[in-house]
Amino acid sequence: MIPSRENIIARVRAALRAEAHRPTQPSASPIWPPIGDLETRFRDEFEALRGELIVGADQLREFINQFGCIATDGSELVRTTVGDGNASVRVADLGVTGCDCLIAQTGSVFVTTRSTGGRALSVLPPAHLVIARRDQLVPDLASGFALMRKRYDGHWPSSLALITGPSRTADIEKILVMGAHGPKRLAVYFEG
Amino acid sequence: MTAIADQFKRAAAEKAADPHHRAVLQRAIATYDAAVARGKTRFADWQNARAQAAQIKWETINHLDRYLEQFERQMIENGGRVFWAETAEDAREYILRIARSHNVRKVVKSKSMTTEEIHLNAAFAVAEIQVVETDLGEYICQIRGESPYHIVTPVMHLTKADIARTFHEKFGTAPDATAEELAGIARAQLRHEFLTADMGVTGANFLIADTGMITISTNEGNGRLSVSLPRIHIAVAGIEKLIPRLEDLALMWPVLAASGNGQAVTVYNTLLGGPRRDSETDGPEEFHVVLLDNGRTRLLADAEQRDALHCLRCGACLNACPVYRNIGGHSYGTTYQGPIGSVITPHLREAREWSHLPYASSLCGACSDVCPVRIDIHHHLLHNRRNAVRLRFDKTWERWAFRAWLWAMQTPQRYVLAGKLARVALRLGLVTPLVNPWTQGRELPEPPQHTFRLWWRNKGRDGCPQASVKKQPRRAGDNAFYQHHE
Repeated sequence: MIPSRENIIARVRAALRAEAHRPTQPSASPIWPPIGDLETRFRDEFEALRGELIVGADQLREFINQFGCIATDGSELVRTTVGDGNASVRVADLGVTGCDCLIAQTGSVFVTTRSTGGRALSVLPPAHLVIARRDQLVPDLASGFALMRKRYDGHWPSSLALITGPSRTADIEKILVMGAHGPKRLAVYFEG
Repeated sequence: MTAIADQFKRAAAEKAADPHHRAVLQRAIATYDAAVARGKTRFADWQNARAQAAQIKWETINHLDRYLEQFERQMIENGGRVFWAETAEDAREYILRIARSHNVRKVVKSKSMTTEEIHLNAAFAVAEIQVVETDLGEYICQIRGESPYHIVTPVMHLTKADIARTFHEKFGTAPDATAEELAGIARAQLRHEFLTADMGVTGANFLIADTGMITISTNEGNGRLSVSLPRIHIAVAGIEKLIPRLEDLALMWPVLAASGNGQAVTVYNTLLGGPRRDSETDGPEEFHVVLLDNGRTRLLADAEQRDALHCLRCGACLNACPVYRNIGGHSYGTTYQGPIGSVITPHLREAREWSHLPYASSLCGACSDVCPVRIDIHHHLLHNRRNAVRLRFDKTWERWAFRAWLWAMQTPQRYVLAGKLARVALRLGLVTPLVNPWTQGRELPEPPQHTFRLWWRNKGRDGCPQASVKKQPRRAGDNAFYQHHE
């Protein structure tokens, strides 16, 4: 046995012999207001975060045509919607991926290494396009976690990420600047 | 007084009297306040959210042994490695050992206060391993050779012009660059570092016991890049960062973001459970979690203050604190500044050296009011003062002064006598700034002719007390608010 581990655990157990006062019990009152219509709520939240919601095949083509080097996750949904990529993730200026679900409450895209072709594809290229289906919309974070648990419990991917808008920073005088290290642009297209 | 306490007093006095520093700080905190007020409107019941978050942390901290073991078991099952570090030195040595054994030349680091606590960057420097901070604020700190000024907002004390000057000197960029240009410069510089680093070092916002994962929250995306490209990932986390279940994040992520800067959730909330799986295309080959004690079990043993280990490091208590708002982050001389820092530092470090910190508080309770996990911060500051006196860290003259006060308060006769003596002392001008530092920045009012007791006996009881108060002549320099409202 590693002594440092045993020492720390022993100290924790000794420390916990004295009981701490309990905090006030939470009430039954709901923490969150109602979500409303999922698609409307998602759009409002996502656009407020400066996400770009792409509507219709024409807009999708227009969006993709802005980029020369495109990397995709190779999934069925992405392939049938935008075709195959022509670049590796390290040089691509657009990454196109699927997702596990979309959270209406926060306008977020919930992804895993399995749904987005690894870790880098959804964060390294300067733009990220998510191809999703409407039935992937869930109301809130709790339902997002429930879905993940159901899908992956016992064989989790090495990484999950909740993406809520394009990358940003406000480290300089609290001035909001888009595109710090991650994608400067984040777009969602609903297939079908 | 210890040298550290002396240094604190000098730094605090200097910063409090610096109008430029004050203006920069007030503007940043005003922006924060407005964003947080907006952010909290997203909750139907913020107080209940706090109560639930406190409940989750209480449950974890008070069964920490169980959750630590569960976390370790799950993490190992996920292919990760867990190292238990009793001290900062243990943690540094382990990290350097891993780095050396993998021939690591360059490390990218995502913002982490725990690695500040163990002074990891200095250790890398000694080992001649290049380390690059990738959070924009931390990057600016690193270039300037400063420590973070705030646990969430590392360069809160700098203006855009200050940062433009720093970048101008370092990279030869335009001396009047905008915030957007400055962030763009950092993005370009750091992109290269991400692509060429051998190892990523991060902290962790939470450790999830039931799935064996860590979480990292960043707005910039530097956290995700630090763990996507390098061959090795080491996360350093205090043992108190645990929460029991993955599902707890549905509350903890929004609560942390609301208090941290008013967002619904941080832009990137990443969960990491182990290294790259065989079926995955990228990610590190090795994933290590360093579980750090470094004094935390001492704080855990103090049942009265145990809830201080609930802390999410959101920074809300710093921003709310009237002392922090005046003296700023660097004055404290600690890794964790502000009210929570003044609670935990005397436990995590040498108590004698840091027992002055709990006195840097007006005990107004603003810190406790804003704490998202309901830590009783201002009472703990009081507890730390009491502890310091019990350990006899207080000054001898102070102990005698309180004994004299206690003696005087015990009978009306003694009280009257003490009052008389005090008035004589006041009239003779014996209460100088030397005797009472309170008067260093304030004018002492002239002592009244009579005691309150005498006045009450003669007039107050039958006359209108208000009227006689108004007749009292006021001197210039008396409180302007009352003059204005007369």
